[in-house]
Amino acid sequence: MTKKVLSVALVAAMVGSMTCAVSAADYAGMKIEIVSKGFQHQYWQAVKKGAEEKAEELGCTINFVGPNSESDYADQVQMLNAAINSEPSAIGLAALSTETCLDSIKDAQSKNIPIIGFDSGVPGAPEGAIVANAATDNYAAGELAAEKGYEAIKDKIDAAEAPVRIGVLAQDAVSESVMNRGLGFIDKMAELTGGVKLEGNDAYVNGATCENKDDAKVIIETLVPSQVTSELSAIDCQTLLNKDDIICIYGSNQHSAEAMVTGDENYGRLGNDVVGIGFDSGAVTKAAVASGQFLGAITQAPVAMGAKVVELACAAAAGETVEDVDTGCQWYTAENMEDPEIAQNLYD
Amino acid sequence: MNEKKGNAFTNNPIVKAIGLQKIVVVLVIVLLAAFFSIMSPAFRQYSTLVSLFDYSYYITFMAIGVTFCLITGGNDLSVGTGMVCYSLFGGYLIVHMGLPVGVGMIATILLGMVIGLLNAFLVAVWDLPPFIATLGTMMMTRGLGSILTGGLSIAWPATAVPQGWFRSIFKYKTLNSAGKPLMIPVGFILVLICIIVMSIFLNKSKPGRYIIAIGSNKEATRLSGINVVKYQGLAYLISGFFAGLAGIAYAATFQSIAPGTGAGLELDAIAGAIIGGTSMTGGVGTITGTLLGVFVMSLLKTGLPYIGLQANWQQIITGIVLIVAIFIDVLKNKKTA
Repeated sequence: MTKKVLSVALVAAMVGSMTCAVSAADYAGMKIEIVSKGFQHQYWQAVKKGAEEKAEELGCTINFVGPNSESDYADQVQMLNAAINSEPSAIGLAALSTETCLDSIKDAQSKNIPIIGFDSGVPGAPEGAIVANAATDNYAAGELAAEKGYEAIKDKIDAAEAPVRIGVLAQDAVSESVMNRGLGFIDKMAELTGGVKLEGNDAYVNGATCENKDDAKVIIETLVPSQVTSELSAIDCQTLLNKDDIICIYGSNQHSAEAMVTGDENYGRLGNDVVGIGFDSGAVTKAAVASGQFLGAITQAPVAMGAKVVELACAAAAGETVEDVDTGCQWYTAENMEDPEIAQNLYD
Repeated sequence: MNEKKGNAFTNNPIVKAIGLQKIVVVLVIVLLAAFFSIMSPAFRQYSTLVSLFDYSYYITFMAIGVTFCLITGGNDLSVGTGMVCYSLFGGYLIVHMGLPVGVGMIATILLGMVIGLLNAFLVAVWDLPPFIATLGTMMMTRGLGSILTGGLSIAWPATAVPQGWFRSIFKYKTLNSAGKPLMIPVGFILVLICIIVMSIFLNKSKPGRYIIAIGSNKEATRLSGINVVKYQGLAYLISGFFAGLAGIAYAATFQSIAPGTGAGLELDAIAGAIIGGTSMTGGVGTITGTLLGVFVMSLLKTGLPYIGLQANWQQIITGIVLIVAIFIDVLKNKKTA
């Protein structure tokens, strides 16, 4: 009896190891080039970590690169060209700007190198050029931030006699991810509050699908700095904090969330009479959430995203059919940020 | 008639002592402050003033250093990315190597001086054009910052933790009589000390006078037996030192420092120095003028968003102010010529 069990177990183990070996062998030796948006924020380190772990597991090699800063569009194109010239099995790409990458993308397409989009993906790329995306649904993430924020300010809005103001701090009005996080927030807030008046940056005012109602009880003001510097974003936050009718501020990425902490230093209003909502983690944002300065923040799943890019890239290179994957997002607060499921996506 | 009046004004001994440019800049500051205060009630608040100071320290330090390079007829483009690089280095030692904050601060300044020394060699010893030499070190420091920290952004210790004491050098947090938090921008004292010391150094000390002389006429200075290489180099070393000091102020003001950033910040410092009356062609400039010039830049940066102007218009207006300032400089030079 024990012999039989043993032999069955052995056979099972052998078969198991064979199938494992087959799938790993499929991808082993593959070379994946991953072109990210840079390493400025720890978010990208987490993506890289996920990608490296997956590559080791699958036995393929990856080369993870990115420009010095998220405004170096030209540098990123150079990196993408270098990646294509190295004749990889597949490429992972988080485009800073689709337009500037377009020629290179077509070049890769003509050489039959599959491209997997990640992070904000490669929006507006030619049909079939991007075989699949591993990305956060940024619009949905913005909506989640609005839902959670609304719960905290609902009573204030109902009780207010004059219109109240919600501020959105955005790093730019160009990148698809930052735009959608803002627009998702604005549209959802409009839906929940029964209509809003939009002020501030034109790209956001015109980009929102909600109606811009002049007599609404809630004003949403979106501010975008002329340059991405800590100082200018902090000043944007302060112009909001200086307004008497402000009740909530939402910073739509790590840069903007940190600028909220800097901006609030001389005011101390966030977490007291103004609700603060952040996006992504990093030591500063995590501390702000833990201390109650922020009501909470949205985190993406960068580690899972990195792993997914490599997995999709390998599968695409092996000729398998691949599909878009929403890598998801979570709402974290002082209460739940220690939960393992959330903590794994929070980084310093 | 008008011309005569102008001459009488510019010939006034008080005006001569202070300098026409500085009087104009002070007037601009008063007018801007008045304009923003009238246009935006929020601008008049104490917290706005504290923020204005907060964000002016690092630019002022960079500008003090750059003024020395400009006076020699040179330039230092490496101070912006350099400042971020030094600050990343110091912060890395504190956060990831566990060294005391004091050590990190000293390291920040030392690295600034090392790059300053490199600039000094390139410009003074090897005679490279300052614009190109410091453009090179600007690119190098940008990359170096990323390499030193492994691409990570660095958050120097926050105010709340014991290691965060260094932030109190620039902003002292206490409670007012009503028990509410009160911020005192004590960093301004440090800035004033630096301004006074460096003003005396520039105008009263031998090395300072030599630096001005080099900017006026390098060849004549050399022929009069002064070691031009030494004093021209000194200007870049001073610039490196102050870029390091700016790095500490930057770390104290902002929550975290991202590698790859800082490009463009040197232009704020250079613009401040120029608005304050320092000549791009060298030989002319004062440290107090630079302080005033930086204040104009800071006022514009803080004030323009308050009056509801969108970001791109802010840049256009700042650009116009800079052009007008240089135009005054050009007019002045034409008159004296």
